[in-house]
This record gives sequence, C-alpha cells and structure tokens, in this order.
Amino acid sequence: MQEIWSSINWAVIAPLIVIQGILLIIALIDLAKTAQTNGPKWLWFLIIVFINIIGPILYFLFGRRQG
Amino acid sequence: MNLLTVKNLSKKYRDTYAVKDVEFAFPSQTCIALLGPNGAGKTTILRILAGLLKPTSGEIIFNEHEQRKDFRSDIGYLPQHPVFHEWMTGNEFLIHSGRLALLSKEEAAKRANQLLDKVGIAEAKNRQIAGYSGGMKQRLGIAQAIIHKPKLLLLDEPVSSLDPIGRREILNLMQQLKKEMCLLFSTHILTDAEEISDELLLLNRGKLFESGKLSDLRQKYQTATIDIEFKDNSTAYLEKLLRIPSIINGYKEQNTIRLTAEDISKARKDILIKAVHEEWPLEYFSINKASLEELFIKVVNG
Amino acid sequence: MQWSALFKKEMLENWRNKKWLWFPLVMILIAIMDPISNYYLPQIIKSVGGLPEGAVLELPEFTPVEAIMMSLGQLSSLGVLIIVLISMGSIASEKKSGVIELILVKPVSYANYITAKWASLFVLIWTALFLSLVCSWYYINILFGSFSLLQLIQVTFFYGIWLTLVITISIFYNSLFHTPGLVAFLSAGTVIAMSVLTKVFHHILTWSPNKISEYIHTMLLTGEIPSELIATSSVTAGCIGLLLFFSTIIIQKKELGSR
Repeated sequence: MQEIWSSINWAVIAPLIVIQGILLIIALIDLAKTAQTNGPKWLWFLIIVFINIIGPILYFLFGRRQG
Repeated sequence: MNLLTVKNLSKKYRDTYAVKDVEFAFPSQTCIALLGPNGAGKTTILRILAGLLKPTSGEIIFNEHEQRKDFRSDIGYLPQHPVFHEWMTGNEFLIHSGRLALLSKEEAAKRANQLLDKVGIAEAKNRQIAGYSGGMKQRLGIAQAIIHKPKLLLLDEPVSSLDPIGRREILNLMQQLKKEMCLLFSTHILTDAEEISDELLLLNRGKLFESGKLSDLRQKYQTATIDIEFKDNSTAYLEKLLRIPSIINGYKEQNTIRLTAEDISKARKDILIKAVHEEWPLEYFSINKASLEELFIKVVNG
Repeated sequence: MQWSALFKKEMLENWRNKKWLWFPLVMILIAIMDPISNYYLPQIIKSVGGLPEGAVLELPEFTPVEAIMMSLGQLSSLGVLIIVLISMGSIASEKKSGVIELILVKPVSYANYITAKWASLFVLIWTALFLSLVCSWYYINILFGSFSLLQLIQVTFFYGIWLTLVITISIFYNSLFHTPGLVAFLSAGTVIAMSVLTKVFHHILTWSPNKISEYIHTMLLTGEIPSELIATSSVTAGCIGLLLFFSTIIIQKKELGSR
C-alpha cells in the first residue's frame, strides 16, 4: 500500500478530488437553500455526503423540485 | 360589430360531449359571465377560446373583419389554477410574459411595473413566486393575462378559490378591467355573475341553456312578488286583492300576503289606488325583485 | 425579440437550478475517469496483489488515441445517460405542471418555443463536452503522450454532433409526452435501439449516427477526415433538423389535454 501511495502522481489525482469536493459543496448549499425536496431532506443529506460522486449527481437529477 | 362569434361549438371526448352546439356572440366592451354548475363545460369553452383545446366542430370568429385564425395576441387567459415558473420573481415572470406577447424589453418592464401596482403585489415583486400565497398568485395571474392589453380577457373561475377578502378585491379589480377590455369569465356563483357582468351565458351539461342581457333575463324569468301586511286580519283583504285583474296569484303566509303579478308596475298602481280609496290599514308594502336564483336552480336541476 | 426572451429564460433557469455548475463537472469526471484509472491499473493490481506467484501480467500500453477513445466511450454511455436525464423535463415538466398553458396562450411561435429549448441545451452540452475533452486532453498529454489541439477540436466538433442528436431526440419525445420519466426512458431506449440496429446491420447502415465515434477513431489514426465521417455527420444533422421540425408540428397540433 505504501508503494502505491508514493507512486501516485498527486498532480493527476488532486483535480479529481477537487471536482468531487466542489460537486459535494454545491449540492449541500443547494440542499440547505431549497425549501422542499423530493423525499425527506435528511435522506438527501446522507446520500450527498456518503455516496461518493454519485450522491450529488443523484440529488441534482432527482432530489431538486423542478419549479 | 361583434368581437367574438361562436358558432355551433362542440367538443367531444370519446362518446360524451363536454360542450355541444354552443352558440353566442358579443360586441367589444361587454362583460359576460359563463354561469353553470361544475362540469357544465365552462372551462372547456374557455380553453377552446384560448387555443389550448381544438373544438371537435364549430367555428370561432374573432373580430369579424380581421379573419385571423391565430388571435392569441388579442386575448389574455387566466386558468382556474394558474401555475408559473416558480423559480422566477413576480416581476421577472411578468416581463417574460410581456416579451412573449411581443412587447419590447422597455415596454414589458414598464407594463410589469404598472400592473404589479395595479393588482397590488408590488411589495412582493422581487420575491420568488414559489413563496406567493394563493391570492397573490391569482393577482399575478391576472397581471400576466393583461400585460399586452388584450381585447378579450378570459378568466376561469377567477374568485372561486379565494377567501372573502381576496374575492372582494379581485371582483373590484374586474370592475375596473371591464372598462378597458371585454371580459369573459366563468363562475358557478350567481351573485358574482350578477354583480359584474352585463350578459349571462347559462350553461349546463355542455349545452347553452339560456343567454342574454342580465336585465332582459331578469325580466323574462322574474315572477316578482309583492308582499303586503295589514294592521288587522288580512284574510279578508286577500280576496279583494285577488279580484284585481293585474294580479295573477296570491297566498297568505302567516301575516303576510304574497302576490305575484305579470306587470309589476301596473299591479303596484292598482293596489295602491284601491288601498287609498278603501282606506286599507296598510302596514307594510314591498316589491321583491328576487334574483335569478330560481332560474339558475331550475337549470342546474333540469 | 421573442426567441431571445425564451432562450434567456432557459439559460437563466439552468443557471439558477445549477445545471451550469454541476453538469460540466460531471461530464469532466466521466471523460477523465477511464484514462486515469487505466493508467494506474497496473500499479493498482500489483499493490493489491492477488496474482499467483510467477504469473506475468501483460497489460497493454495505451496510445493517446486509445485514451481519448476511452473518454468518448464513457461519454457515450454515462454521458448520454446524464444528458437524457437533464433534458427529460425540458418541455414535459412544463406540461406536467401546467405552466406551458400560460406560455402558449401568448402569441408564441411554436418554432421559437422548441428551438429556444433546444438551443439552451445545445449550448450547455457543447460547453460541457468541450471542457470535459480539454481536461481529458490535459491528462492524456501528461500520462500517455502528445495529442494535438487541432485533433482535440476535431473530436469535439464531430462528437458534439452526436450528442446534439441525443438532445434533439429528447426534445422530440418532450413534445409528445408530459411525463419526464417516460421521455427519459424512450430517449435512452431509442439511442440503445439505434446502436443495436447499427451493429446488426453494420454493412447497410454505414452512415448511422451511432458510427460517429468509430469514424472519429479512424480520423485520429489516419490523420485525415474520412469521407464516411462527413457523410455520417450530414445524416445526423439531417435527423436533427427533421426531429426539430416534427417537434414543432407536434407541439402546435397536439392538444395539451385537460389536467
């Protein structure tokens, strides 16, 4: 494990992590601001936070109420 | 010159008619009420006129001399439960509506501002529509319908979902609007129709039951009554009254004599002359112009 | 102008509902996912272990062209799925909620209504596609070797035509139905059916829109734009035009129905 850790080029991986982080934050901000979601808000919170990458996407696609 | 002429209008869903052979016409500057119980076909007619439904058969002629098929630029429409782009602010939605109705950017903004004031939601204009109350949405709905100064405004049950205060305010607004454009609105409440409209279209089960000027209909259907009370026992007077030729019928209800007459003014004269001559001890004399309620109930039940 | 009012409303809506933020980011992730994971695959397998003693793992070295094709492969599956899902309610949800009644009662040209919807999606997916391929390009240059900017622009252009067909299919179903889920299902189903048909009848359907990726591959290998790619792109553009035309007719003729 040590080997793979050191062999990874962080210039390659860091942007991935940043994009993931931005998605997570946008989703959380939107969730906090929105009055109503499809389904309970707390559930969407868990989905966004705990399902890597897919969580925020699921929220944007299905959680937001289209007005 | 008629603003709108509807000929033989029918709308069929599978094998039932929502509207059948409806005909009417009216000039501009008229206020017409489409009156009828739920399911009478009022909404269907309005939606056909708005271009949202295609009639199964029949003809709609807007502004006879123009012969246009698409007259959407001259009509405004408010559905019974208007839905907006909830993420927009009231002001944004009005400007957007104005631009869709081919107003310039400046014009749309100007009209939006005027109308927000006029319908009384100016203080909420920069809030998201999602947070508007039912009454505010109804006002916004009227504003978007008249943003382009249409010649004909179609309103579907404009007051039925409102509380008494909101209802009063919308009715007042309609009183103002009928001075500026032709109004055609549906309602199932007779008093609303009587208060605002000049003409009535009485509808039941998709058919036009009766139509005409409100005053004409009143005269046609009203069997007005005269109520009389006397100081002493009135039974004796009932016989005397019934001998007057202009009186058709009469009966006694507790202490009151209720008379019906064909020509109410003649009957009044005859009764009063006789009363003076014979020195009747009159206590109470009243002419009851009942509303069209009875006609309405007859239509609904018939 | 009415069209610009409709178009601006769409752009504003997609900004406020944050599609302009998350959709390009997701497309970027989809595009760079495969090139990166394939590059690290040998190391991952080695460190995780599980290979029997003495087994020799032969993993191919990827060329830059193969790497960009990996990006297109993911965009063609996951990317198309996301595109279908973000466009499923474009018109259908306006019909479902009823707001379309207030719009179409105004003297709105039906062609303006359809094309403004389409154009807003067009701008969104082309922007996202370009950004995602630029990121993929950046990684390919670091990890696999050089890949020219001109080639990148060619790939974006031709592949964009394919994705444009996908949103147009979605707009077409949007004009027919008022249930976003059904629109998404039929759009995805159509894309899949087209791809199956193209595979089965590959010798007849040489200009099928589904072959764009294949011809892009040829273009990258030969360094020239193959005539099949031009023909296929033209066919695709023709389909787009026809579908937009039919969508306009449908939205005009079809009753919105009673709610």
